[in-house]
Amino acid sequence: MAYTKPRPNIDGDIQPFWEGLKNHQFLLYRCQQCGAWYWPAAFCRFHDNQPFAANMKWEPASGRGRIFTFNVHHWAFDPAFKEDVPYVYALIELDEGPMFGTNIVGTPPDQVRIGQRVEIVFEDYPEEGFTLPKARILEEAPS
Amino acid sequence: MRRCAIVGMGMITGPQPGRTARWLEAEATRRAIEDAGLKPSQIHGAIQLRRTGGGGERAFLTDAFPRVLGLPVNFYFTVGRGGCLAGLGVAAAMSFLDLGIADYVVLTGAVDDYSRSRETKAKGALGMVHLEKEGYWGKPFGDLRAPSHHSFFAARHMHEFGTTSEQLGMISVQERAWAQLNPEARFYGRPITLKDHQESPYVVWPYHLLDICLVSDGAVSVVMTTEERAKDHPHPPVWVLGVGFGEAMAELWWEKQNYTRLAVQTAKEQAFAQAGIELQDIDAAQLYDCFTGEVLFQLEDYGWCKKGEGGPFVAEGHIGPGGDIPVNTSGGLLSAYHFGDLTGLSEAVIQLREQAGPRQVPDCEVVLVTGHGGEVLSPGMCSIHSTLLLGRN
Repeated sequence: MAYTKPRPNIDGDIQPFWEGLKNHQFLLYRCQQCGAWYWPAAFCRFHDNQPFAANMKWEPASGRGRIFTFNVHHWAFDPAFKEDVPYVYALIELDEGPMFGTNIVGTPPDQVRIGQRVEIVFEDYPEEGFTLPKARILEEAPS
Repeated sequence: MRRCAIVGMGMITGPQPGRTARWLEAEATRRAIEDAGLKPSQIHGAIQLRRTGGGGERAFLTDAFPRVLGLPVNFYFTVGRGGCLAGLGVAAAMSFLDLGIADYVVLTGAVDDYSRSRETKAKGALGMVHLEKEGYWGKPFGDLRAPSHHSFFAARHMHEFGTTSEQLGMISVQERAWAQLNPEARFYGRPITLKDHQESPYVVWPYHLLDICLVSDGAVSVVMTTEERAKDHPHPPVWVLGVGFGEAMAELWWEKQNYTRLAVQTAKEQAFAQAGIELQDIDAAQLYDCFTGEVLFQLEDYGWCKKGEGGPFVAEGHIGPGGDIPVNTSGGLLSAYHFGDLTGLSEAVIQLREQAGPRQVPDCEVVLVTGHGGEVLSPGMCSIHSTLLLGRN
């Protein structure tokens, strides 16, 4: 079946992240001087005037975090999502610090709660040439 | 810096099928110039206020309303960042006026969103999908439209402070009550109850349909000048008392409180310091109300109530007709017309000129207009906030 949903916008700033996903690696952008993690790519805010983010590198991260907030789409603004509603889009506070937005899969929307632990799972679309990072809820008590 | 004022305004409301935004800009500008008692030949600067930025690409660079109108302008350009247009436009116009580059500057914004959304609905989509630029993060995951990336802010506020959908609904109900006093409002003659709000379908939980702004066709244009000329016009001048800006951009990934507030703090401090006023001096507030949650956040951020107490505050009333802080007296983006923050700007001018008829706020001397907009690189959202203070004196 033809892929009709919007495709990811993969520009030069974020291409290594998308390459990592294809290998089922969840990468974050990390400062080599102080260890601070970023997503998406940024210059490290703790060091002034580092040219072209020379101290930054994409590194494997835990792929785990906690639901910070979420919504439940009941309307398919784009007809390509008609089969998906109701679906959850969540902001996940990654264990490394940054926020990351994606769908919660594998749990009915009415059982999703803020505070639940999640981990990134990989949805491969080899014919489209990309892998989407989604999240599933881990069986741990919410905090 | 010389004091600056709005001395003319033109406005177009209601569906405008078959008309381009450019044409609406030209006609609103013509009305503003006429309203100021001026001739087009006296306008030497024009600023287009455009909801660029955000997820949409609504700029057009193929033609311009000063060309359509034949204005003899020495400069024309576009400002805007999502729904943050009025503050940026006014600040830009003031610098040109103060430099003496122009005696009169027009600021004009138009939208054709209503007619365009009818076109996309006919193609099976909900909302203005075809207007969206490719590229921001959430689209492959179904984070598609403004209700997608605003609703999770309301959900977070509910989680942290116990805010309820019923409380948010009271914002809709009170703004709709204002719209019943504004014959130009889209929902004039159609009041709602809290039950209507609660029974309206979920679009993106926690937002019901009645938590979400409408889309419009129409335009607003104002003519600005400096104090030397401000009193030489048919209507009393509406003075710019203060303008300020705030940004959450740099903090989006770190300061996790920014999911329950807007970047009000610096904007408010700058504008109120320039104006030399306090919060209690505000007679009416035109708060950017793309969704009910943004109104709630701003009531807290400006200090009408404490952070987290906005829910009980709006449930008690306060913001509707007869309330102690009249909010969005036109009916706002939720119930009247959506011209970005030009809805609030136009309403401020109408109130300060005492032209608001049955919705006139008594003794209205100072009005707050806020703007809100920016990129929607989820998880970030609309990071700029603008504070514009307008007054009769």
